[in-house]
Amino acid sequence: MSVSTSVSATGTAAGSEQQLAEFDRTTSRWGRATMLAGLAISMAGPLYLIFFTGLDISAGQLWTAFAAVAAVFAIIWIVEPVTYFPILGPAAMYQAFMIGNISSKLLPSALVAQNRIGAQPGTRRGDFAAVAAICGAAAIHLLSLTVFVGILGTWLISMIPPQIIDVARLYILPSVMGAVIVQSILTIKQPRITLIAVAMAVLVQFVLLPLAPGIAFLTTGIAVIATIAVSWLARDRKAATAAAAK
Amino acid sequence: MPLTLSRAVSAAGDSTDVLAAANLPVLWICAAGVFAVIIVQSVIYMKAARKAAPAAGITSAEIGISFRSGAVAAIGPSLAVVMVAIALLAVFGTPAVLVRIGLIGSAAYETGAASIAAGTAGAELGGPSYTQNIFAIAFFAMSMGGAMWMLATLLLTPLMKRGGTKLAKVNPVAMAIVPGAALLGAFMALGIAEVPKSMVHVYALATSAAVMGLCAFVGRNPKHTWLREWGLGFAIVAGLVVAFMAHTAAAPAA
Repeated sequence: MSVSTSVSATGTAAGSEQQLAEFDRTTSRWGRATMLAGLAISMAGPLYLIFFTGLDISAGQLWTAFAAVAAVFAIIWIVEPVTYFPILGPAAMYQAFMIGNISSKLLPSALVAQNRIGAQPGTRRGDFAAVAAICGAAAIHLLSLTVFVGILGTWLISMIPPQIIDVARLYILPSVMGAVIVQSILTIKQPRITLIAVAMAVLVQFVLLPLAPGIAFLTTGIAVIATIAVSWLARDRKAATAAAAK
Repeated sequence: MPLTLSRAVSAAGDSTDVLAAANLPVLWICAAGVFAVIIVQSVIYMKAARKAAPAAGITSAEIGISFRSGAVAAIGPSLAVVMVAIALLAVFGTPAVLVRIGLIGSAAYETGAASIAAGTAGAELGGPSYTQNIFAIAFFAMSMGGAMWMLATLLLTPLMKRGGTKLAKVNPVAMAIVPGAALLGAFMALGIAEVPKSMVHVYALATSAAVMGLCAFVGRNPKHTWLREWGLGFAIVAGLVVAFMAHTAAAPAA
């Protein structure tokens, strides 16, 4: 590319720097822009339903619902991006939090790709392999969602008698939560916190709620805060100091 | 004063024909819009990666290999998500399931958020009190939850890029306790709240938990690791089947 060989070495190094800087600029600018667009379009659906279809919903109801959800999940909203950043790198962050299913699908895909071409995670080579792998995973995922859920699933639901749909709808929540509880116990692997969470949930549901039925919609939030507080107070201080000393 | 554009929705939204509201064409268009945004993003990223590939010490061919191996590795997990999504179609309708369960969120967070939101309006997700109004409130709360996730990503990513990962190092002891406690507290409370509803709810909860546990246990064997990603789908379907049998046994007319 350059005129003389001596210039070529430094010239390419500077060129590489520039190319990488351009990649960072492109991915962070467009990553942010596309994520904002995704955010706006995903809000457009419910807002249309609320404002343009004649449903009777007050602003107060919406904010109450959001506040109750925030009381439960606000900590996770902050913690998840912080946890995944070192693994994903800045470019892939804007992909991952829009495509979803990060730990069960995107991370394994990235690892398989890095493994396949012998790239280390955390290096530039590894980051690029991860970005390409996530694009590949997204392509497959969109395709299977379109075909199997969008087309086949919708058809399937229209074929099933309404009585069966009604029963399925009635029991979907316990059918999801049973599995999710087991999944979170196995992923988090902290028996002490698990026991505290069970105790807090039982206390809130069977002691606090009968005493103050008006707090029904706050129970999950209260259980979350109580579990965090008690887990913190009852933490294994010896193990913690040992880990800190390391 | 709301401008009524559709007749699929009952006058005051107190109809329980949730799917009529949940499958409105505009919602399909919004779901397609999110798909389109992800496609555009992937195309931009792939182009940028190919262009800067030599500078990152990776060849253009290796970028292609990475794309393909990422795609192949995602087939199993994607189909597992499909199974979960189909099970939830009856509650949320196709467009909301595609965006919330299939993409941005996950079955656990979204059904959790929807249940909490329905509770604030004095209704039960999927129960007799689950009207079009309640669906809209739940859909709004789920979407706001997802929006907060993306907002946190948008705000924190540039910060962490600049300051390294200092944020996670603030207090390693707190980071080891708070996230786990928040998740376990949330899902434990959401699960136990199902117990007093009826015995059929208890059967569904227990069946789902047992099937998930079994899949995780058998999935420890390196030959059956696929069971770990399919566990959630199998557990939900098993929970529904048992609930259906118990429900019809209790009330044959239903």
